[in-house]
Amino acid sequence: MISSNSDALTTGADVSVPQSDLSRFLKRLGIAIVVVGLAFAAAFMLTPYQPNEANFLMRLKPPSATHWFGTDNLGRDVVTRILYGAGWSLGLAFLISGLGAVVGVLVGLSAGSAPRWFDQFLMRVTDSFFAFPELIAAIAIAGILGPSTSNMVIALVMVSWMRYARLTRSLTLELSKKDFITQAYLNHLPFRLILWRHYLPNLKLGLLVLWTNMWARTILSISGLSFLGFGVQPPEAEWGAMLLDGKSYMQTAPHLMIFPGLAVLIAVLSLNLIGDQLRDHIEKNL
Amino acid sequence: MTQSFRRISLILLNRLASLLAVMFGVSFLTFLLYYFSPGDKALAIGQARYGGEGDIQPEIAAMIREEFGLDKPLFSQFLHWLGPFLQGDFGKSFVSQEEVWVIFVPNVLETLSLALTALIIGLCLAFVLATLSVWKPGSLIDRFAVAFASIGAAMPSFWLGLLLILFFSATLKWLPAYGSEGLEHLILPATTLGLWVTTSQTRLFRSFLLEAKAAPHLEALRLRGVSESELFWKHILRHAMIPAVTMIGVDLAGLLEGAVIVEVIFSRNGIGALFVHSVLSRDYPLIMFLVLFSAFSYVLINTLVEIVQDWLVPIKRVNRGAVS
Repeated sequence: MISSNSDALTTGADVSVPQSDLSRFLKRLGIAIVVVGLAFAAAFMLTPYQPNEANFLMRLKPPSATHWFGTDNLGRDVVTRILYGAGWSLGLAFLISGLGAVVGVLVGLSAGSAPRWFDQFLMRVTDSFFAFPELIAAIAIAGILGPSTSNMVIALVMVSWMRYARLTRSLTLELSKKDFITQAYLNHLPFRLILWRHYLPNLKLGLLVLWTNMWARTILSISGLSFLGFGVQPPEAEWGAMLLDGKSYMQTAPHLMIFPGLAVLIAVLSLNLIGDQLRDHIEKNL
Repeated sequence: MTQSFRRISLILLNRLASLLAVMFGVSFLTFLLYYFSPGDKALAIGQARYGGEGDIQPEIAAMIREEFGLDKPLFSQFLHWLGPFLQGDFGKSFVSQEEVWVIFVPNVLETLSLALTALIIGLCLAFVLATLSVWKPGSLIDRFAVAFASIGAAMPSFWLGLLLILFFSATLKWLPAYGSEGLEHLILPATTLGLWVTTSQTRLFRSFLLEAKAAPHLEALRLRGVSESELFWKHILRHAMIPAVTMIGVDLAGLLEGAVIVEVIFSRNGIGALFVHSVLSRDYPLIMFLVLFSAFSYVLINTLVEIVQDWLVPIKRVNRGAVS
């Protein structure tokens, strides 16, 4: 009885978000992502080169029919490296923004539903983490631990969870005032159930928008850190590390500098646009 | 009167208390960074003090441990570390043996001149773009400004810097790419950083201006016969400026981050490049100082902005209980 009652209340809360428009958008987005993913898979299968396959006869060649984006200082094919770099940038950024979300949501939920003094304490801790400019803190952490991919992941998670924590806390505080949450508490629903059925379903859209945003930011951070030498290390085909490699050949082989940067730009721009669209659709429906 | 004064001073006290709490938290986190750094700290200090790369004698290492309290529990080590900082003694660089303070001052001046030039370039450009774009929403210029802002937001600043070098230094040979002497060395770095400011501010200016343009009292003014240009310069712009000015304080962190990348790319002197070099050489006193400096200045400026907002926006004063 209690559970059916609470289900009705949850759906009651969801009525404010008419599903049709948003779900249509999400469906189209899903199809687009699958198409892009298939295109990448096809490209991986079709490219005849390996990302770290050196060919000294073909050093620093400009774009041509056999090497569309040219070759780098070791004769490696730039197209292949950029394709593999997408795995580094998009995949690592996906992982990092996801880990940050887990930490942030945990902190935010505890702050939002804890007694006031503990909430204040957690928020001052969050503020303290927030006070460090992201790139500076990330360089300090990654540099002191020693430049490597795993240390970069640690560093970027440590500088990025705070946004999720703040958003989750403010949404949680807002939700706590809603009738259906009060009702759930009055019905002595276990806190675990209130969390899963009432808080999290109502947090997910806001978190999704933030997460797309953070995913894009993290791609920029990864390439920036790798470019400065604190992230993914050469010879791995990461876009920022490729730019660092290509910098020395600016005069003779400018294509080494143009394509990896363009890849970062396109990836971040697309994610930002998706995030904007998502936000517009959600806001329109609220 | 007295009651509102009391309320304001309470808010102020509240802000100062949380500022102190955050500054304490920032110091502690910075110390943790040092505490958890790999390697034997006594060895590093000893090598820095007496020179040389080899091992130091165990007695001397023990002496250093005693002196710096390295064998004590975490929190007393923290106080031991914090004490000299509070007295303005920031220690000596491990690498050059100079006072951190002495290294810091000329570098921060370089960074300030870069950041201020960039801010001026960036804000002027953002202002022009945003004004043109709201003049006729949906026009070609408007669409260009929006596209410019979204592309700029996705542009890695190090790539922008590299492209500018490639175009203006390597190809056209108009401007020097590296170094920090003279005005012509400032143009490319300041433009790189300035374009970053432009892209982040154009969007904001634009939305503030659109908001101010939709205010209902403008219709009343229009009916009274106020001309469109006067309406724009005297009323719309002024309303849009208030939120815009407060946003600049928030962007300080971005400017500092941008300075790190720009200074490294253009081989300029400044605290950004200094920071990267100190991290690479594990020069802990310098790292700690620069990290603390960046966090403290960010926190202080934001608190100032918040206090100004408390004074400027009466609604925030009344609703504070609900807002915070």
